[in-house]
Amino acid sequence: MQLLNTLLIGITAGSIYALMAIAFVLVWRSTRVVNFAQAGMALLSTYFGYEAVSRIGSFWVALPVAMIGGAIFAALVELILMRMLVKHASSGPIAGVAPIIATLGLLGVIRAVISMIWGGQDLRIVAPISNNGFTINGSTLVFSPLKLLILVVVVILLILLSVLFQKTNLGLALRASAHAPEIARLSGVRVDAVRTLGWALAGAAGAVAGLFQTVNGNGNFSPDSIEFSLLLVSGFIAAVIGGLDSLLGAVLGGLFLGISISFVLIYVSSGLFFIAPFVILLVVLFVRPQGIIGVKAGRRA
Amino acid sequence: MKKESTHLPLFILGGVILYFLSGMVDELRVYQGASIAVYVIAISSLILLTGYSGQVSLGHGALLAIGAYSAAISKNELGFPVLASFIVAVIITAAGGALLGAAAARLSGPYLAGTTLALAVGLPSLANQFEILGGEQGLLFDVGFPPLSLGEDFTQYKWFFWIAGLAALISMWLVNNILKSRYGRTWRAGRANDVAAQLAGINTGRSKVLAFTISAGIAGLSGALLSMTIGTVSPSAFPLALSFSLLTGAVLAGITTLGGVILGAFVLVAIPEVADVIAHRLGASEGVTTNLPGLIVSGLLILTVLFVPNGPVEQHRARKAKHEALLGSKHK
Repeated sequence: MQLLNTLLIGITAGSIYALMAIAFVLVWRSTRVVNFAQAGMALLSTYFGYEAVSRIGSFWVALPVAMIGGAIFAALVELILMRMLVKHASSGPIAGVAPIIATLGLLGVIRAVISMIWGGQDLRIVAPISNNGFTINGSTLVFSPLKLLILVVVVILLILLSVLFQKTNLGLALRASAHAPEIARLSGVRVDAVRTLGWALAGAAGAVAGLFQTVNGNGNFSPDSIEFSLLLVSGFIAAVIGGLDSLLGAVLGGLFLGISISFVLIYVSSGLFFIAPFVILLVVLFVRPQGIIGVKAGRRA
Repeated sequence: MKKESTHLPLFILGGVILYFLSGMVDELRVYQGASIAVYVIAISSLILLTGYSGQVSLGHGALLAIGAYSAAISKNELGFPVLASFIVAVIITAAGGALLGAAAARLSGPYLAGTTLALAVGLPSLANQFEILGGEQGLLFDVGFPPLSLGEDFTQYKWFFWIAGLAALISMWLVNNILKSRYGRTWRAGRANDVAAQLAGINTGRSKVLAFTISAGIAGLSGALLSMTIGTVSPSAFPLALSFSLLTGAVLAGITTLGGVILGAFVLVAIPEVADVIAHRLGASEGVTTNLPGLIVSGLLILTVLFVPNGPVEQHRARKAKHEALLGSKHK
């Protein structure tokens, strides 16, 4: 029973990490930037969602509101900050690290502005359904209707995303601009617009991850909540495990990370919550440096 | 080519100036001076790592934490004298840095950045895992009163300032000379072009690990000094924000300009005070006041990367060089 519990908790947490990892991968594929502000954007979207919940009262309105808000914000970041960055900081010793530093700065700015607008205290989003575990044969699982719901929503989003990428012209344009921007441009794809779209999709995915991370925890969140630092680190690690370039890899990486953390917490020590992702990342980097879905070029981004 | 001097007299002169300066200003300024000295050390270690060897660390705060805890434990538990505990901090953190560097040498750019970030998020939580680390409250780290021979009215803060200032001068001098040595050139070569450096016979993997080790040792020293000025070592002294501030300081300094560190460190210490003044001037609410320093640090980070990507000092130097080149061509 404990084994099943561990596995189910891991899969739920992992599916949230997977969404975050997808956000990282989408941004990486479209602009070759690891967006360290991703968690800040997810946090901001969660505040959008909170505003929607407190006005309209339904989590099901909050979710799309957060997604759209997150998408618009991410698109603006790409349009303004990232394009300026390409223009100004593409030479000299700083060029390699400029995007990292800029997105990190953005993370700080987002956090500070959120604290100024909403204050630093805990706010609360109530989960749409119960987080009390299912009962089977008299024993209670940790797995709850809420966790099931999260899984279902994440799976639906993943299916939508893969349909978008595999079956539509837009998806073809997204893939083409990621893999061969020059050729895509020559065949009439508006690569710049597609890049912005990649960021917007990432913003939406991050928004869902942020909301679910909040309700899957105790429902409280604040600008400084460690949950979001964890989301940032876990999403990044999941993306790296998956190879940083593949959506499928991101999903597998998320699940792998979620399940491994869950096993470490339950079978080793619950105090390792924050250090476990780092150790798992190191192990993965040493054992399988090309990620689960192998990338031939290796890790030299 | 003329042999480069080690600039030893320059650093000694700096020390003499600091010595007289510390006697002339009030307590708060002396304390801030100690903080600047601590930041100078931390930022110069980051410049060595990121600017010269091209490895980004978003988790330098974690290295500072290792140094601080090693110093406190070696002093409290093992009864080491203060100076020895600083040396222990350097050695232990350098060893940790070597381990991390071995992992890091396989990584580059964003991968390394993310790995160090994960470390910075994870490491402080270990304090609650082991009893010897003292949990959330942390450990005391008391370097003791200034020696009586310095006089009755020699204050504690001034003593901090002397220790930190001396350490800063020594480590700046060391870093300056390491960067000008063969190793500095090796790192720059590896950063500019990995393959070309390897063709020139440089073992880039080993040189990166070495950079990480040295940088970590220096970071450990600054961590120990930081906890000296606070008086305790606790996880809350090494938040993610510290790592980000240090990076801001390094970028402000100009990531490849060691001379800029004083500017970077000065700005970091000045920001809270400036933010306070601005907030009062605007009559801002408490929420705004407490978050203004964070906003300024992050905002400066973005603006610097966008508009003076290689740092103000470097920018100025480049402009001057261009200007002189123009003048030179006119004379011909």
